[in-house]
Amino acid sequence: MDNAPVTPAALEELEAANPDYEVNLVSLNQWQLAWRRFKRHRLAVFGSILFLTICAIAFIGPLIAPFDFYNVPEPVKYCTGSTTLRASNGCPPSLNHFLGTTGGLQRDLLVLVINGARLSLAIGVGASVFAAVIGTIVGGVAGYFGGWIDNILMRVVDVMLSLPLLFVILVVAKFLGGGNWFVVMVVFAVFGWQTIARLVRSLFLSLRSEVFVDAARAVGVSDRRIIFRHILPNAVSPIIVATTLAVASVIVSEAFVSFLGFGVDVTQPTWGNILSNSLTFIPLGNWWWPLFPGLSIVFTVLGINFMGDGLRDALDPRSRD
Amino acid sequence: MLKYVIRRVIQAIPVLFGISLVTYGILAIAPGGPTARFAQNPRITQAQIDAFKHRWGLDDPLYLQYAKWLGIWGDAGVLNALPGGSVDIAGLHIDLPGGDNGILHGDFGYSVTDGRTVTDVIGERVLPTFILAGTAYVIWIFIAIITGVYAAVRRYSLFDSALTIFNYVGFSFPTFWLGIMLITLFAAPPLKWFPVGGMWTTRTIPIFATGEYWTFVGAHPLTALWDLGAHLVLPVLTLVVVNIAYDSRFVRSSMLDALNQDFVKTARAKGVPERTVIFKHALRNALLPVVTNIGLEIPFLFAGAIVTETIFSWPGMGREFIQATGHFDYPVLMGILLITSIIVVFANLVADIMYAVVDPRVQYD
Repeated sequence: MDNAPVTPAALEELEAANPDYEVNLVSLNQWQLAWRRFKRHRLAVFGSILFLTICAIAFIGPLIAPFDFYNVPEPVKYCTGSTTLRASNGCPPSLNHFLGTTGGLQRDLLVLVINGARLSLAIGVGASVFAAVIGTIVGGVAGYFGGWIDNILMRVVDVMLSLPLLFVILVVAKFLGGGNWFVVMVVFAVFGWQTIARLVRSLFLSLRSEVFVDAARAVGVSDRRIIFRHILPNAVSPIIVATTLAVASVIVSEAFVSFLGFGVDVTQPTWGNILSNSLTFIPLGNWWWPLFPGLSIVFTVLGINFMGDGLRDALDPRSRD
Repeated sequence: MLKYVIRRVIQAIPVLFGISLVTYGILAIAPGGPTARFAQNPRITQAQIDAFKHRWGLDDPLYLQYAKWLGIWGDAGVLNALPGGSVDIAGLHIDLPGGDNGILHGDFGYSVTDGRTVTDVIGERVLPTFILAGTAYVIWIFIAIITGVYAAVRRYSLFDSALTIFNYVGFSFPTFWLGIMLITLFAAPPLKWFPVGGMWTTRTIPIFATGEYWTFVGAHPLTALWDLGAHLVLPVLTLVVVNIAYDSRFVRSSMLDALNQDFVKTARAKGVPERTVIFKHALRNALLPVVTNIGLEIPFLFAGAIVTETIFSWPGMGREFIQATGHFDYPVLMGILLITSIIVVFANLVADIMYAVVDPRVQYD
């Protein structure tokens, strides 16, 4: 079977050469089939567009509306269309400030939310990918070699899963992080690979006993080649799905850790930091301040979850209920 | 069966040991520590700091500190792990060889912030956490089972789709943001229906769980209960909304599985009334995995509400943990980490054993 993509020009040539051809059979490879299934999943397409839009905003937004911690806007006494003195309150959403301004320093909320997206997404995606790499290595080694290696590695996973991870992340991020976003990301990865390791291990265990692996071993293929050419490609789909869904949970946890003041430094806007600052102004009725950064988190997470579900259906059709 | 239980218990021991090692390791490599607070004080000399370190055994090598903390080394030397003190058996007074310090003897040390024992500090937080998490737990399990079963029975109905959407949104809601928004909506002006946080109205009611509090409860039971209830509404609502999502989905899929089983089809074919089919044949089997899952969520009753407790200033374990982190209070941190981990291991064990008991198909070995 020829798996090379069929270009339109080649097809025309084929038709010209064989005028009797009525049905053009185009063979699709595994990924093309998955893409076709994914496109049919409307919620997943919607979720991906939502997530990619937010990523684009996070990438381009700060170039247009940059945030500078030391640049504090000129104070305003009255909000647009209001005659009551502003006091230390922020202003509700208006045409000048689409999402309103914060209380106290009166920063524009839109600028904050756009700039916050960058670190929140970077930590979410970075930590999940890094965790997936660690998890795949550990799970793969444990599942492929088995025996005492498997036993030791899985006990380590047991121990780490028994610890209340959020507690541990809080402590480690506080004591080692010092507000550096990269360290926070690494901390999330180091304490987040265990579930993927378990998943990969079980995949390797079942794939290891497949006939094609036996065949490969019988003709003398090396362990390394069996792992990378025969087993890993078959285990990739569930890993991709799990990693995608992990991004959502890391974004939420990171927001919470930053919200408590144990995560990213307060001079850098993340969604968690913005929410954290809003806390003292909520009793003054500044509803827009916590609303918009929170909605950004919800939309991002919702988008990722839809996308992950679509990916699961597309890549692993057997798992559909 | 007994063999299975014993084997599982033995398997848990290295995990518990690993947990103690990781817990100790994390805080050993962390900067700061008990002497960090002296750095700001110019009148304290290095000699005094050294004396302090020596007094608390902080100048020992790390493995010795760990051994002492765990209780396998101490006043009684290598025998320290054995039970200490003395017992009277049949008039005979016997001095036991072991010691009485260290985790193995239930001694978690003293809080750095206020000098009380860690067990005291944690102990007074258990009841508030239990009240909050327990109330939420009962409500959300109840709602999750009812909605999950109903959605499965009426599959593809309007209710089923509505629940699916609600669950998706519930998954995506960060707990802490939901709490903040509930405060913004219902506790901040203009509505001000519920208190912003805390567990009791400090102006009118004495401190929770003190002698005066119970006297007050005895004198005005309704006022006290009403006040507690008002403080409970928002945090419980937060926990319930976020947690229903996962559990009702779980119940739904488990019920769908059960409804597709052959014995359900047989029952229907024999003309058993639909009610009986659902409640007697399907539901009973669908609840098997649900029971295990509910068991696995029990540690949450002691530890899990960290987010909600912080947002609503609820004086429970989670908030104590956050405060202890802020104060670099290592003994309290280690105590909470260790106790919650032990509860998690224990709950996993109980869930596994329960599953083996309720489902005869599970093989013990």
